[in-house]
Amino acid sequence: MAESECSACVELRFPCRPEYVGVARLAILGVASRMRFSYDEVEDVRLAVGEACTTSVEWAERNGKAESEILLRSEIGQDKLVVDIFDQAGERGDDGRAGGPDQESENLGALLITLLVDEVTVVPKDGGTHVRMVKYARQR
Amino acid sequence: MGAPEGKSARIKRGEGNVNFKMETRSVESKPPIIELTGEVDVYTAPQLKQQMIVLLEGGARALIVDLTKVEYLDSTALGVLIGGLKRLRERDGNVVLVCPSPRIRRVFEITGLDKIFDIYETQADATESMGKETG
Repeated sequence: MAESECSACVELRFPCRPEYVGVARLAILGVASRMRFSYDEVEDVRLAVGEACTTSVEWAERNGKAESEILLRSEIGQDKLVVDIFDQAGERGDDGRAGGPDQESENLGALLITLLVDEVTVVPKDGGTHVRMVKYARQR
Repeated sequence: MGAPEGKSARIKRGEGNVNFKMETRSVESKPPIIELTGEVDVYTAPQLKQQMIVLLEGGARALIVDLTKVEYLDSTALGVLIGGLKRLRERDGNVVLVCPSPRIRRVFEITGLDKIFDIYETQADATESMGKETG
């Protein structure tokens, strides 16, 4: 992680369950509000983080890992916000699972994330997934 | 290990949540109106889904979902609305949305769903449009 660029970090650890996704959204709303983001950009970050956590929760349910946790870590930089979301929700299947009841909203969630933040990477990590999202503060 | 389906548990999600409220109003000969308040997300959207199923199974062919008081809406909610729309369009019905909030409307716009759903500013406009469709 790019510790050197991080002027402040905020971490939140919470249960990987639906009722706590709103807590993560509240936390990131507070963090993003401290940066030079427009109102819409703050909303973008909130929605993107909500979507990423929702995907973790849905995989945790599917994989029987509802007792696991999510770690939300935000690095507040000079001109960008880096949000890391680590879950232990088990492996995420590939396209072979297409057609499930939640597939549509999951695809929409992934689409939303790519539209709302400037960079997104999703990699398997330690029995779960690490999602990194970067949002740059525009010069104005 | 939780049941993969867990439908009964899912349906109960969000009950008692102070950040979400749902009211359904049915007036004879008019489409039922579901009024949502607060946050419609992975926790609360199953309640909306369940309510839509009840109305569909009750024979509703058209539905108005009023998002005027919604403060937050995510892909789970979008998925539920799309599911309802698909089922109703199969029987020549429709799901019409009331969404005056630019913030919520933006979610539909960036996903392109504003082209799929008929979205109105007021309940009166939505009701009138459905009268035209069915009449």
